Amino acid sequence: MTVHIMLFGQLADITGVDKITIENCLDTDSMVKSLQNTYPALIQSTFVIAVDKKIISSNTLLTDQCTVALLPPFSGG
Amino acid sequence: MTEKKIKNIFIDGPVTADFIGKSIQNHSSKTDIGGHSIFLGQVRADKIDGQDVATIEYTCYEEMANEKMHEIREAIFAKYDLTCMHVYHSLGKVATGEISLFVFTSSKHRKAAINACEELVENIKSSLPIWGKELFTNERYQWKENK
Repeated sequence: MTVHIMLFGQLADITGVDKITIENCLDTDSMVKSLQNTYPALIQSTFVIAVDKKIISSNTLLTDQCTVALLPPFSGG
Repeated sequence: MTEKKIKNIFIDGPVTADFIGKSIQNHSSKTDIGGHSIFLGQVRADKIDGQDVATIEYTCYEEMANEKMHEIREAIFAKYDLTCMHVYHSLGKVATGEISLFVFTSSKHRKAAINACEELVENIKSSLPIWGKELFTNERYQWKENK
């Protein structure tokens, strides 16, 4: 199972990556833990998660080829 | 509800006065309009810890932002009696004093246009995945936070 992860704004800045692909990740909680292991800077970061462009508010099961985005606080306008 | 095409709100660089002027001019043939309301977001030269903001560089999650804007647009059209609604946001670099957000609503009578415009601006700021990076004159930067 392949999950595509996108990082935006300061999250891409502090990790040095804006796209990651991971395999065999069951849900968003385990995905975040795995990312925080690889990129400890994310532990201190504030963000919301969007799965296939919809913001989620609790742990969500991931599906093959889904896209998960880590979104820091918005600052448009 | 009718399926409307998702519009792209993003333009490269600042929103120019010429663009805004033409947008207004384009409405002269729509003679059922009695009032327009316009909000223009301008890049402010903030001083932060002794450093001066020179430019804001905007990035976004474009697909999600345009889909979310489509939802907002539909909700605003359902709530207010509007004739027209246009939203444009800059991507890339916008210098202090330049315009980065252009929200334009029109209606038969002023109240709908004014109230819809205000609600749109608030929704755009709180709900669209857009990020501003404040570039200082000394070449350092920080990520903008909306207040």
